[in-house]
Amino acid sequence: MSQEISKSTEKILVIDDHESVLNGTVEGLKRQYPTAEIQTAQTAQAASQWVEQGQPDLLVMDLSIPNVSGEIAQTETGIQVLKTLMQIYPTLNIVVQSAHVRSLVRLKPIISNHEGGFTIADKSLPLQEMLKLVDWALKGVNYTPKEMRTRLELKHEWMNVLKLAFHEGLQDRAIAERLNVAERTVRHYWTKIQDALEVYPEEGKNIRIQTELRSRQEGLID
Amino acid sequence: MADVNRSLGTRLKNESSIWRIGALPGVVIIGLVIAARLTGVLQWLEWRALDQGLRLRPAEPVDERILIVGINEADIRRIGTYPIPDRDLAALLKTLQTYQPAAIGLDIVRDLPVQPGHKALVQALRDKRVIAIEKLPDDKSGIGINPPPTLPAEQVGFVDALFDTDGILRRSLLGASDLKGDWHSSLSLRLAEAFLLTKNLSLENGIHDPEAMRFGSTELIRFQPNFGSYVRADAGGSQVLLNFRSGRNPFRIVSLQDIQLGQVNPKWIRDRIVLIGMTAPSTKDVVSSSAIVSDNPALIYGVEIQAHAISQIVSATLDQRPLLNVWSDGWEYVWIIAWGILGISLGRFIRAPLWILLGLTIACITLIGISYGLLLLGWWIPVAPALLVLVLNSAGLAAFYRYDQDLRSRLQDRQRVIDYTFNTIHNGPLQTLATLLRQVQSQDLPSSQMLSELQQLNQELRSVYDSVRRDALMQGDQFYLSHDRELNLQEPMHEVLYEVYTNVMERDLPCFKSLKVQLVTFEPMNERRLSVEQKRGLCRFLEEALCNVGKHAVCASRLEVKCIHAKGRNLIQVMDNGRGYDSSLPEGMGTQQARSLTKQLQGVFVREVRSTGGTLCELSWSVRKARFWRF
Repeated sequence: MSQEISKSTEKILVIDDHESVLNGTVEGLKRQYPTAEIQTAQTAQAASQWVEQGQPDLLVMDLSIPNVSGEIAQTETGIQVLKTLMQIYPTLNIVVQSAHVRSLVRLKPIISNHEGGFTIADKSLPLQEMLKLVDWALKGVNYTPKEMRTRLELKHEWMNVLKLAFHEGLQDRAIAERLNVAERTVRHYWTKIQDALEVYPEEGKNIRIQTELRSRQEGLID
Repeated sequence: MADVNRSLGTRLKNESSIWRIGALPGVVIIGLVIAARLTGVLQWLEWRALDQGLRLRPAEPVDERILIVGINEADIRRIGTYPIPDRDLAALLKTLQTYQPAAIGLDIVRDLPVQPGHKALVQALRDKRVIAIEKLPDDKSGIGINPPPTLPAEQVGFVDALFDTDGILRRSLLGASDLKGDWHSSLSLRLAEAFLLTKNLSLENGIHDPEAMRFGSTELIRFQPNFGSYVRADAGGSQVLLNFRSGRNPFRIVSLQDIQLGQVNPKWIRDRIVLIGMTAPSTKDVVSSSAIVSDNPALIYGVEIQAHAISQIVSATLDQRPLLNVWSDGWEYVWIIAWGILGISLGRFIRAPLWILLGLTIACITLIGISYGLLLLGWWIPVAPALLVLVLNSAGLAAFYRYDQDLRSRLQDRQRVIDYTFNTIHNGPLQTLATLLRQVQSQDLPSSQMLSELQQLNQELRSVYDSVRRDALMQGDQFYLSHDRELNLQEPMHEVLYEVYTNVMERDLPCFKSLKVQLVTFEPMNERRLSVEQKRGLCRFLEEALCNVGKHAVCASRLEVKCIHAKGRNLIQVMDNGRGYDSSLPEGMGTQQARSLTKQLQGVFVREVRSTGGTLCELSWSVRKARFWRF
């Protein structure tokens, strides 16, 4: 998994059609990951090509991009690329930058099946915040902003994970056996559950226990 | 159980009414094809089918009872003159006679002497075994071709050929009256008769059909004006349909030179029928037949046709080889109508184009197989008209039914919208307006209350407007969600449904406010066979179900939504833990629409108060079962 990759080998692809934004992002990334290999692309086509050839560990992409250079940048184009990439590379870590995060709502069923890290950064976020989301994505964390949900929303299977873990005290491997899925899938469910409950990594806090506390608070488990 | 009975009863009733109305175009098509057949328009198609069938038969062995002596181009070149002089024919006859054949047919015109050697020919023709030819005077010109003048009538047979309107020869004329009313026999009949007489079988009248000819127990099936696919054909004289001997070499053919040089096995001639004729293309003694296997079916020597005609009679008598027979007209039409009905059934019960194609292919192969099998047994049955009604009815009508069904369901939806609009306006805005008017007239209305009443009226009217607009806009591949959101129904169904869900959950509905947790699973569904109209219905179903939660699920804290495909079933399920709905209320438009959709999908629709509290609303339908049922 991405956490295990040492920092020197990271391959990052940044997609943005504005040169200045692109440079800013790349600068920030270079400072945080001095040894990382950073590629850039400005169109949807170039992006797909780079992902295919370079097999990056992380994709940082703007939603509003043109299909090929010279065309108008459109959110729809970015959404289509994102959809395709998530289907082909289910474990790719992704940071989506957008000024209209609400347009991603309809990708929620696909995002909820995506197994890699997935964070959404509003374009108005300060660089430092953005870099935090990049770090989370690389660690396999899922983060979707509040605007994307109205209420606490979980998939039925995630609910089962919560029950097995906190009612029966099972470990991931046992949960995986009970649900008849891979252990990796259970871990990926946890990141989704944590995002739904808005429990994110924090220094000095045990994220599993935080998750349990929040679940009880929301009445998901007794 | 009573429910099941009732629904089965309704279904049967529906089915029978669909048959009554739906089968009408199919019946019309059957009628048209039958009418076309009666007028003879389809004759050529059926003839072609017959020729093709006869040509495809496995080869029969050479008919050893007949030897053809064909005078070919090489023979003519050697003799150096044409017509072949009497001298050479006389010599040929003399040689052949020494081998003791049962009969000799001289299929060469000899109405006038062709010197030299006329006397010798007259001499050779004295042998009673020799039959020479004539051509009957035809009705139009009154001119025929005389037989050799010295010959008695019983040693003469005519060689008149009968052609169908497409110029192809399929019949053999066995006997006919000339213009004076005298009966003549054909060359083939005379030769067959002479040969069979050596087996002690003489020509008699038929037993089943007194007008038919009979040798022993074999009656030659008489051709009649409406025989098989023939329509008002000239059946004058005594005719039979030719059941050509199949195979590339039905008869043994030797040349004049072969006889002269003695290069023939005497067994080929002794007690056999010998036919002498021209097999030289330059002599133009050819006819067209497309039922014979040869390089050029349009070029069959006259003498070969004579051989086929003789062989057919002799083989039928001695070997019980089948003669071509047909069903009576009545049975032919029963047969055609039966295939037409099968076609209608295919089009009616199978809806998936690929399955129709498969069913149709199987039906066509069966039909052609049966027809071919029967032809091998000597039965010529109408295959072309049956094929025509089958294909037209199944393929054509399937498209028609589909269209018709879509149209009906759309009409039903429209009617529902009209009823709903009428009811809603009547129960809502009109009541509010009446109250308002009364209050205004009695002038006891504070302006603040008036404003709120007007606002309510506005809202009521707007909701009617919205629902009408929504249904009016439901065209093409779109699903109209709200004034600013339309969904593309070509996208994967679970994504479209998720958007419906997201959109509805954002609406300002009273019972959504208490919701705390939403458990949702949207996974790819099996969309094969879902029409756009049905997808639209599913979107509307989910929208209605969620709106009902928003309106009626008082105090619900948890909402569960499932759109999944599992174990061959698609499921859309909406569950809440509110107080449940009042089931005594009359069914709304949404429920009616859901019922109609359920019927179309042959699925199960449930809306009930859960035992644990709250409401369950779900629609599920089997993809597998539906496919089976439709087949």
